[in-house]
Amino acid sequence: MKHFLSTTMLAIAAICLLFSGPAQAEDDTIKVGAILAVTGGASFLGGPESRTIEMQIEKINANGGIHGKKLELILKDSGANPEKAISFAKQLIEEEKVFAIVGPSTSGETMKIKNICEQGKTVLISCGAAEVIVNPVARYVFKTPQKDSFAVKKIYMVMNKLGIKKIAVLAGNTGFGKAGKGQLLAIAPEFGIEVVATEVYDKKATDLSAVVAKLMANKDIQAVVNWSIVPAQAIVAKNMRQAGWNVPLFQSHGFGNIKYVEAAGVAAEGIIFPAGRLLVADSLSADNPQKDVLMKYKNDYEAKFQEQASTFGGHGYDAIMVLAKAIEQAGPDKEKVRDAIENMKNFAGTGGIFNFSPEDHNGLDIDAFAMMTVKDGKFVLYE
Amino acid sequence: MAVKNYLSVLILIAVVVSIQLATKATDTSYYLTQLTMTGYYSLVIIGLCLVMGYAGQLSLGHAGFFAIGGYTSAVLTTYNLTTLLEQGNGLVRFLSDKGLLISTLDLYGEAVLYINPWPAAIIAVILTASIAFMIGIPVLKLKGHYLAMATLGFGIIIFRIALATEILGEADGISEIPGFTLFPGICVNGDFGNRVMNYYIAWVLVLIGVILLLNLIHSRVGRALRAIHGAEDAANAIGVNTAHYKLYTFVISAVFAAVAGIFLTHYNGGIGPSEAGIMKSVRYVAIVAIGGMASMWGALTMGVLLNFMSLRGMFGSYDDAVFGAIMIIIMLFAPNGLLNLSVWQKISKSAGKEKG
Repeated sequence: MKHFLSTTMLAIAAICLLFSGPAQAEDDTIKVGAILAVTGGASFLGGPESRTIEMQIEKINANGGIHGKKLELILKDSGANPEKAISFAKQLIEEEKVFAIVGPSTSGETMKIKNICEQGKTVLISCGAAEVIVNPVARYVFKTPQKDSFAVKKIYMVMNKLGIKKIAVLAGNTGFGKAGKGQLLAIAPEFGIEVVATEVYDKKATDLSAVVAKLMANKDIQAVVNWSIVPAQAIVAKNMRQAGWNVPLFQSHGFGNIKYVEAAGVAAEGIIFPAGRLLVADSLSADNPQKDVLMKYKNDYEAKFQEQASTFGGHGYDAIMVLAKAIEQAGPDKEKVRDAIENMKNFAGTGGIFNFSPEDHNGLDIDAFAMMTVKDGKFVLYE
Repeated sequence: MAVKNYLSVLILIAVVVSIQLATKATDTSYYLTQLTMTGYYSLVIIGLCLVMGYAGQLSLGHAGFFAIGGYTSAVLTTYNLTTLLEQGNGLVRFLSDKGLLISTLDLYGEAVLYINPWPAAIIAVILTASIAFMIGIPVLKLKGHYLAMATLGFGIIIFRIALATEILGEADGISEIPGFTLFPGICVNGDFGNRVMNYYIAWVLVLIGVILLLNLIHSRVGRALRAIHGAEDAANAIGVNTAHYKLYTFVISAVFAAVAGIFLTHYNGGIGPSEAGIMKSVRYVAIVAIGGMASMWGALTMGVLLNFMSLRGMFGSYDDAVFGAIMIIIMLFAPNGLLNLSVWQKISKSAGKEKG
């Protein structure tokens, strides 16, 4: 019987814990939920996103909030686990009764909670890249990162110019790699490009010389496209140059982090990739509509966190600023804010100029990407 | 023996019902969301408790079985068969004629045709049981660390397969999985309005699991298992077919995990590779260890408590670290589980005296 008694006592303790209830919301705040992969396999996304969102909310509140109301951030770390994202989304919507949710960081998680937010009539502004998030359009679901297909088209345009016809596609086994590989294969025929080889590698790979050697044996390959967001991007470049293979290397917008350039050293020189303009904010002309936003975000972030601003953090910036702007325009009313986001035009974010519409819940066009290359260890615009 | 066990089951029923009534009374029924998810994880945990605590075999691959169940059911119920039917595929037509397919429109007005969750669930359970059977025959011949490593290896394989297979959605997993209508009017899904029903579905399932296991433990099989746990060679010598019993419990516990996987997948409306991850298997093992290995009630209580806190994000960014730390602390200071600490026993002893 003794087991039993202690079990019952624990059960009682559990029940007490259960009903300790959440703190009551104050009327002069607007609760914003955030579900981000601050830790785990996608922390390179969730880390900068969460820091950026916290920084921006602090700033908004320091300036007196929106319509006199302060924003209250409820940040949940999902560790990129979809089951946690589901649990958190339900918790935020029903229990915390948040005004809106920003995040999740990954497409997989976003797709799991898309219907939950739709059912809960709560605006979700995702930082996930996949197109399925906004296609088909769900009434309450938006996203800030540029579409993969635009990145792919930008790359293929350059290839057409350079006369490249046959390519190899490399991808990491992450959601990002998977989506990019799919788009690369689907869009290639439109540009008269043939994908002659496809390889997928593990996201934790530390050496890819075997894969590179295999591709190198195929003399038809005129260029390589690598699609991943992991350190393997630098490894691909290194292994190719070590093997003495000098075909052009294209990377995805996941390459937009100076850490990868440093890791690849000289091998990074000449890599061509599409990215948001944040990376070249300094060299943009003064009349570029994004210039002010980009410089301000970059300087603020780098001053506060002592690390390079990345385009990923920028997705978080865009998500929270689009929301803030909509609340400012429409007042603290969930439905009106949803409408305000849907009708928002010419909003300069870090990812591009957003023009939302009922058919387009991403709001960015192909010009959100610029082609860049690495020169003397720095990102510069590709001419 | 028997009376005490049925009393425990009655108390479990009472706790389950009173929690629901309490949430209703305090208007906090949103807690039931995590309690439902916790219920399904508890099913895996009591199944693992049978293998670990009673048969004395360590399995670090139970997240793998959970994932096999969940993913199989997810694939079968999301794969759109509309075009196959239009092309006149014989198998699809046969299934359609037998009424095993469900035709509906999705949220965006597209026609979808998918396999009824019932046959899908049955296929998933059969698949998991056969895999557990085939893996179990060679693996359960190993002992100690080797058994742990072999099951760990199995878990990693399943995780990698989930991550690399296109039809399983690779890193994104599978989304938009339809609800599972058990009987007309009773449906496993995550709709906000369906919460109370789903809470009871999950806990009735746990209850069925508990009763099955209690009967098993207190039968001839249970005695054989305890003999194996105590001294396998001795058990063998007195005529217990150890290989047979070990395999039997391993398969049963894999099926528990698979059923939990199937139900949770339909409840969540999605599944991702993290469900198959190694940290999930470690978490299950840690919870059984905290509960006191051979104590199903202990494992159940700790499982509910820790999973509930984890799913509510109470451990923040230290989620996996918390479970790792708990495991180390338990092994160092309370190898027989938290509920077997001498402090508790003293309390219950004195409480027992008072009762006279």
